[in-house]
Amino acid sequence: MSSTVGIELEEQYHDVEQQREAAKLGMWTFLLTELLLFSGLFVTALVLRVMHPDSVTAVALHLKFWIGATNTAILIVSSFIMSVAIELSRLGRQRPMAWCMLGTAAFGVLFLMLKGYEYYRDYVEHMTPFLSFRRYELVGDPASRLFTNLYFITTGLHAVHLIIGITLMLVMAWLASREGFLQKHQNRIEITGLYWHFIDLIWMIVFPTLYLLNR
Amino acid sequence: MSPELRQHLRTPVLTLFALLALLGVNVLLGIFFIGGHAWIAEGFVAATMVAIVIMFAMEAVKDAPITRLFAAIGFVWVLILFGLTMVDYVTR
Amino acid sequence: MSDAALRDPRIPAPVIDRPEDYLHVEQTLSSWFFTTDHKRIGILYLVSITGFFVIGAIAAGIVRLALVVPDGSILSNEVYNRMFTLHGVIMVWFFLVPSIPNTLGNFLLPLMIGAKDLAFPKINLLSWYVFVTASLFTLFVLLWGGVDTGWTFYTPLSTQYANGYVIAAVLGIIVVGYSSILTGLNFIVTVHKMRAPGMTWFRMPLFVWSLYATSLILVLATPVLTIALVLVFVDRAFGLGVFNPEQGGDPVLFQHLFWFYSHPVVYVMVLPGMGVMSELVTAYAYKKIFGYKFIAFSSLAIAVIGFFVWGHHMFYNGITQYSALTFSLMSFIVAVPSAIKVYNWAATIHKGQIRLDTPMLYAMGWIGLFVIGGVTGLMLASTALDGHVHDTYFVVAHFHYIMVGATVVAFLGGIHYWWPKMTGRLYSEPWGRVSALLMFIGFNMTFFPQYILGYMGMPRRYAVYPESYQVLNVLSSAGATILAAAYLFPMIYLVWSLWYGEKAGDNPWHAKGLEWTTTSPPPKHNFRKMPIVDFDPYDYSNEPPEE
Ligand SMILES: [Cu+2]
Repeated sequence: MSSTVGIELEEQYHDVEQQREAAKLGMWTFLLTELLLFSGLFVTALVLRVMHPDSVTAVALHLKFWIGATNTAILIVSSFIMSVAIELSRLGRQRPMAWCMLGTAAFGVLFLMLKGYEYYRDYVEHMTPFLSFRRYELVGDPASRLFTNLYFITTGLHAVHLIIGITLMLVMAWLASREGFLQKHQNRIEITGLYWHFIDLIWMIVFPTLYLLNR
Repeated sequence: MSPELRQHLRTPVLTLFALLALLGVNVLLGIFFIGGHAWIAEGFVAATMVAIVIMFAMEAVKDAPITRLFAAIGFVWVLILFGLTMVDYVTR
Repeated sequence: MSDAALRDPRIPAPVIDRPEDYLHVEQTLSSWFFTTDHKRIGILYLVSITGFFVIGAIAAGIVRLALVVPDGSILSNEVYNRMFTLHGVIMVWFFLVPSIPNTLGNFLLPLMIGAKDLAFPKINLLSWYVFVTASLFTLFVLLWGGVDTGWTFYTPLSTQYANGYVIAAVLGIIVVGYSSILTGLNFIVTVHKMRAPGMTWFRMPLFVWSLYATSLILVLATPVLTIALVLVFVDRAFGLGVFNPEQGGDPVLFQHLFWFYSHPVVYVMVLPGMGVMSELVTAYAYKKIFGYKFIAFSSLAIAVIGFFVWGHHMFYNGITQYSALTFSLMSFIVAVPSAIKVYNWAATIHKGQIRLDTPMLYAMGWIGLFVIGGVTGLMLASTALDGHVHDTYFVVAHFHYIMVGATVVAFLGGIHYWWPKMTGRLYSEPWGRVSALLMFIGFNMTFFPQYILGYMGMPRRYAVYPESYQVLNVLSSAGATILAAAYLFPMIYLVWSLWYGEKAGDNPWHAKGLEWTTTSPPPKHNFRKMPIVDFDPYDYSNEPPEE
């Protein structure tokens, strides 16, 4: 690790190593809570599948499988760029690192655009049972509404997390536009990176749970 | 690209290709096996992808054991939630 | 010739180098509201949860008043339902969950492990702001619009049929959950990373072990409540339907998610109380604790096994018999580590040099109440007996023995024990003893009749009941007035002691532990120099305490 990289000691710690480890463990603990948050939705999806297997399959075949798959690939690539940013930050190369973070954010935005298009297709194809004024495609199968609604909640909650992630990326890139950021706050990049990878990880569970396993 | 950086990027690049390949497997399974028991294989592939992200992208493999312990605790608790809830639903 | 005469008059007289304590180091209002000192945040929490306790207690008082007459002539059904919901929601989320961890825990955790502060002081402050904002919002909702679902928000009552501001109340509780999560996260990282040199895991006080176990539960359980309430929110707002049987959903799924959080959260209330007990019992028996490792590991065991038992709330709500059997078995198992602790405390007291001061009186009362609450819990965990007393006052009595008998009594005992450390003042010992005794008497008089009522078949959550139950109900309400006095006295004499109490020394009880080695109140960063720990916990010699 080059000498241009480091972190500024906060008053409650004895040394930098302690501060670095505390921040990392704190983020992992937070991600634990996030995992359990989403798992409440996953268990609901599984219960619906056990209770109404045919309805769930009917909905899954209506979901835009290709958009979901493409979005998975997009997040995998965004995670890769994030990993590059972290490696660059460890080498003290602040400029290229900031560009990588902007690239990560760009892929996140691309994901959201595709997601938005997917919602639009759902709307056009009458797959929005929660809109009372609009005809519902699978109206003869009332239990299918539940899984369709759950699809919107799960992807919506994931999108909220992604928006937070993109915001963090932009803030970090902006902070890193000043000289000397990595000398003081290199570990913020590591922590943000963990969060971003985790959003990717959640999507890797969401995609099979909603789109794939029930086909 | 400096050789130092190139060496640093080995793991991320391998992770990228591994994840894309596994995604490809799952997509193929999704296209060609509608219905039936393909979900077992698909679930297994997805679990592998999750494990790769935790171990290599999030670097749990390089971290102190406590990190891997916490990651494991998360999934064990998810299993508790699933397992005990499902004891009810599968016996109905 | 004296030395003083020789001092050069140009050199100023020496000043005693005593650090300003955390209460006096800065005294502006903003120094409190923007503090990142864990001790000050502990005090902020103490003041706010005391306020919520008073409101929740008034609601309970109104409920007890209404139940003096059997015909429901004092409160209408609707107001009655809103009143017990107000009581339940406030007491559970705005008092009991944060009670010991966020006040005593916040104050003591860094002191006990020899740290300058928690790992994330700013997140600690953020947690308080999240708590206060969300809880005031929820309080406003509960008072203004009212909610009549009970604190459990069972579907489809909460999603389809209930009147009142369910959506807003649910939102407030979702947000307040994040203050728990932030605190739990902070404690976990602090215990792992902030211990002073020499403070190994097995040198940590048992209160720290119990806080660690509590934090694990907060972190692992709260998100599941969050998502369950999000689903209720969405269901009520947009007709999601997963909990609605008319659309093919399953209301019992909500109960699974809800109790996945809400059973373990009972241990969030009890475990810190157990931690306080371990400290009180050793200090006032003046004896090394019996079975340190057993107590430490039983805290972790309770935290883990507590996640396997949630279905005991649902035996007769539509789960299958196989599921009920599994949960019943696990519920019996979770009683083992609690029992281990009680045996260890009893063994610690045995042949100790017992001083029956106020905190010890609370501790002795605690053991009695907890044993009764625990044993009746086992009765409820057996599926056959639960069929008889499910949803009766037996259940109400049981969980009050745990939540009030164990949590509130330990909270009060702990507040008395550490009061000199927190404020630098001593409270009035005679008043303390009187209050502790009143607490025990008033509590049993309020809640023991409810066991009998429940066993006779009186269901919970009704404003109207058959006349044959009136005598016991009046007895219970009379007990509640004694209980109210037992709460009121400490509030008065503790506040009084802030100005008029005798100055406490650094260690007025001759107790062991790092927190007693620093000044009372401690300086901003707790210790004047970093402590090096080279002694075992509860290092009491068997000499009588010096007076
Ligand atoms: Cu329970």
